[in-house]
Amino acid sequence: MTDVGLFAMFSLPFMMRALVAIAILSVAAGAVGVFINFRELEFVSDGLVHAVFPGLVIGMLVGGSAGLLPGAVIAAVLAAALFALLGRTGGSGRDAGIAVTLTGLFSLGVVIVSRSESYVSQLQELLFGRILTVTVAQLWQIAVVAAAALVIIWCARRALLFRAFDPAGFENAGLNAFRTDLALNVAVALLVVAGVQALGVLMVIAILVLPVAIARMLSRVLWTLMPIATLIMFGAGNLGLWASFEWSVRGSISASPGALIVLILISAYIVVVGVSFAAQSLSRDSTERAQVAA
Amino acid sequence: MSYIELAALELTILGLLAGVAGTLIVYRRRSFFAVALSHATFPGGVVFAVLGWNLLIGQALFAIVLVMIMGLLERIPRQGRQVSSGIVLALGFALGTLLASANPGLGVPVEALLVGSPLGVTTADVGAAAAVLAVSLFVLSLFGRRVLFHTFDPAGYRAAGFRSWPVELAVTGIIAAAVVVAMPAVGAILGVAILIAPAAAARLIAPSLTWVPPIAAVLGIASGLAGLWVSRSFDLATGGAIGLVATAIYVLAHSVAPLRRLAAPRTAAMVGGG
Repeated sequence: MTDVGLFAMFSLPFMMRALVAIAILSVAAGAVGVFINFRELEFVSDGLVHAVFPGLVIGMLVGGSAGLLPGAVIAAVLAAALFALLGRTGGSGRDAGIAVTLTGLFSLGVVIVSRSESYVSQLQELLFGRILTVTVAQLWQIAVVAAAALVIIWCARRALLFRAFDPAGFENAGLNAFRTDLALNVAVALLVVAGVQALGVLMVIAILVLPVAIARMLSRVLWTLMPIATLIMFGAGNLGLWASFEWSVRGSISASPGALIVLILISAYIVVVGVSFAAQSLSRDSTERAQVAA
Repeated sequence: MSYIELAALELTILGLLAGVAGTLIVYRRRSFFAVALSHATFPGGVVFAVLGWNLLIGQALFAIVLVMIMGLLERIPRQGRQVSSGIVLALGFALGTLLASANPGLGVPVEALLVGSPLGVTTADVGAAAAVLAVSLFVLSLFGRRVLFHTFDPAGYRAAGFRSWPVELAVTGIIAAAVVVAMPAVGAILGVAILIAPAAAARLIAPSLTWVPPIAAVLGIASGLAGLWVSRSFDLATGGAIGLVATAIYVLAHSVAPLRRLAAPRTAAMVGGG
């Protein structure tokens, strides 16, 4: 595939829309993902992902596909507050509490969707997403929701960093931990809402966790993490869309583009981990050799 | 045995497993591990469904592979403790989705794999669940004290001269096996609901630690059977109904717990720690 071919592929309107969706999600995932990683909120993020599901289902029942976004936003903000409250109780209760909330809310979604006529197809659409059928209206929705998440992160950035790196100092300085946690949870929830329409409930967790995990293996400098994560996510998105397109045109295998994007991210993570291990053992060998020589 | 009796039997066994594996998950804070593992067995089921083999074996094999991958990822420095679970979770869903999307029309029961079908369990599924329950109880009857020691005082455990890895291995094995056998009835997404929620509720209301497993087992059986009944009477997805009932019991335990704590403040503080 040449560059001209790649360009031609993205001149198709539906591929272009998918690409724009990926670009928006990349920027938001880079910014929000850094704080998920610092605060070890991966489990809470997974909880928020599942919590959005009943919101999508109820929204769809009430207002059709136009109701998806409002339903998801309401459910996400409610769940974000719930998880922030759970975060105040420490110990094993918190961990199990997240798990129970997650499965409980997801059960609610499954039970409601099972009442409707086209149960299986609706369930699968919500779970797996349809990045190639994203409409212009949906793109605007994704952009607005992602922008809201970015604004929250920007306004709360100092408090978030302080709380991530010095939780005790944060409390002693008299700042409100609950409010900061709530702000971050709401930002994560909004990113989930933005990502769900493109990638589906099941795979949106990957864009929250993986780009920043890769960036952290590549760089130790704080301010570079966000741009690196964004670039990685955008690159993987491009590659995934292209591979899915190629396969469906040539091999007549209809591979889910969302799944390909996630698998490319995971491969990148494995490569980066492998390289960093090799680099570590190399440098260890050379220091040992230097010590022996001395 | 009719399919409804078989489902009731399966859910009873899973309820008992909630007392054993669920208690371990809650007190050892392995919830995210259990959730990630249950989600990520999805591709194993898809592969074996495409090949036309037993789904449970595929999911069990994939679970073993995933536990090993997680063990490797946890050794990577410079990353949070939850990253490995997050990555395995994403891997499982992406791989399963890719395989299912590449094989349309092959009758991959995607929906059954994800949310379970208690009314479709076979005698073999029930047998597997019973075997896991029996082996877990046997292992814990041998090493239960050590597991308890290691759970509540890992530093003291090592200082006393015991090695940690056998306990970690036994506990991880029990949790993983319980998650896998819960799969046919409640699926890859809700599989952990019937295991974790009863134990988490029992932790809140039990008068002392020894009471947590039996109470969790009773609550587990109750939520399984009540969920089955609710789904039959109101025509709802059975896996979802069971998850909802289990969550409702947990919420109820939350509202009862403060009353009980007033009655016996000292013991409640002891159970709450850990």
